[in-house]
Amino acid sequence: MAAWNLKDKTAVCGVGHSPYGRRLNRSTIDLAGEAIRHALDDAGLGRDDLDGLIVSFGTPIGADADTLAYALGLKLKMYNQTWAHGRFTASCLQWAAMAVNAGLANAVACLTAISFSGFRRPMMGGAGDSEGAWEAGGGHGEDPVFGMTSPGAGAALVAQKYFARFGATSRQLAAVPVAFRKHASLNPTAIMREPITVDDHQNSRFVCEPLHLLDYCLINDGAACVIVTSSERARDLQKPPVYLSGMQGLPGGREEFIWTYPGFGTSQQDAFDYQPGLQPVYQMANVTPKDINALFTYDAFSILAWTALERFGFCGQGEAAAFTQEGRIEVGGALPMNTNGGLLSEGHMMGWNHQVEIVRQLRGECGPRQVANAQLIQWANAYGDSLIYRR
Amino acid sequence: MAEYKKPLPAISTLNQPYWDGLKRRELTLQHCNECGKIWYPPAPFCPVCWSRNFAWQKLSGRGKVNSWVVFHQAYFSSFRDNIPYNVAEVELEEGPRLLTNLVAVDNDDIMIDMPVEIVFDDVTDEVTLAKFRPARKP
Repeated sequence: MAAWNLKDKTAVCGVGHSPYGRRLNRSTIDLAGEAIRHALDDAGLGRDDLDGLIVSFGTPIGADADTLAYALGLKLKMYNQTWAHGRFTASCLQWAAMAVNAGLANAVACLTAISFSGFRRPMMGGAGDSEGAWEAGGGHGEDPVFGMTSPGAGAALVAQKYFARFGATSRQLAAVPVAFRKHASLNPTAIMREPITVDDHQNSRFVCEPLHLLDYCLINDGAACVIVTSSERARDLQKPPVYLSGMQGLPGGREEFIWTYPGFGTSQQDAFDYQPGLQPVYQMANVTPKDINALFTYDAFSILAWTALERFGFCGQGEAAAFTQEGRIEVGGALPMNTNGGLLSEGHMMGWNHQVEIVRQLRGECGPRQVANAQLIQWANAYGDSLIYRR
Repeated sequence: MAEYKKPLPAISTLNQPYWDGLKRRELTLQHCNECGKIWYPPAPFCPVCWSRNFAWQKLSGRGKVNSWVVFHQAYFSSFRDNIPYNVAEVELEEGPRLLTNLVAVDNDDIMIDMPVEIVFDDVTDEVTLAKFRPARKP
């Protein structure tokens, strides 16, 4: 049986979100309800048009898909959720595209709804780090027996090795949070809008050295929703369709360590010189990295912007430190990244805020932070999955 | 022995031989009798060739620092008095990498590729941890 060609078969027809904030004091069901209603309004769809739901970062920390279905009175033909980890943004959208293409649902709401302030944060390190205590350690590199806890610690391990291996510095890494904060200053939705400098970054305290506080993303509350439907149907709705043109799944195995690319030589990865080749996402979309107008990535920690750039071939191995200098990744630069401000400054919505921004960029709705003439925007991550969106 | 308050490992039927080995002051990991791979974490068969024909093998206890970090934030109250403390990823001579703490070294003196050797730390009557220190000159 021939494989489906999913290129341009599905599209995002609506996006919506709640306010994002440090302590909103609202339940995840409440936040999810607001994001879904805004996304349906944006699409020009009604409640009865929605027949699929995929919850990202679901139970036990985020909103639970079962609970949402009945609490909000949804009428679903299919639903699913990922467990409470943030990396499944592209996976959810890929499953939605497959479900629509397979006829399992007509319109699928993909969302996250999170209230970190109302939760004891068991996966953010410390006494509740139950994942780190798993038989073979936690997925971010945790091993609490040695005090190795919190997702950022594994990223710090990668940053240290990156600095030593390629002669890069923390001062160069500052370019990433500085650029994203600059973008956030142009985004009224962003939680952290006060511009920062390289010195601010260097003077911020170490959390897990070599990473400074300003290398770490925010921990916050909010919900964001993206609705996927068939391209044919999207063309009849009120906003211009934003097509899902290319995708590649989330790779797993011993060659993967979540914060970097194969060959990097952390965790149990073999060490070798990594050559990305033309990744499958580009082959499906029939484009190359040079065609991409803006890049969005899961920036839980600033180092991930570097490893994502190298993983997908925007620059060579060890070159991202230099690549990200001199405004290249800022709006107006050659490759703007995370124009919403990212997880580092807009807010940590598991990457769903990035998907909302990508869609708005491709519709030309982004005002002072609009990327001129944006046609193709990519979501690509250090851990290897990706989507290419097309206007 | 004073009460030990730091997190303890999850010992399972699969990794029991690893912890038993440390208790008798031997660093042991599974070795594949078919393809020769030595691996970590413990698995029910060789992750390279999927052979079930393996044995627990005593290793040299020597390796080098592959990367390291220094915690400045006290996530665990039991580590508060150790701040700033290091966590290192040590690459064993035989290949696998272990997370550990480096002892008998200032954090400022840690370097990538620094040679290290195992130190057995009996933290409770049941549990011995594999820690590492700078290798002594031969």
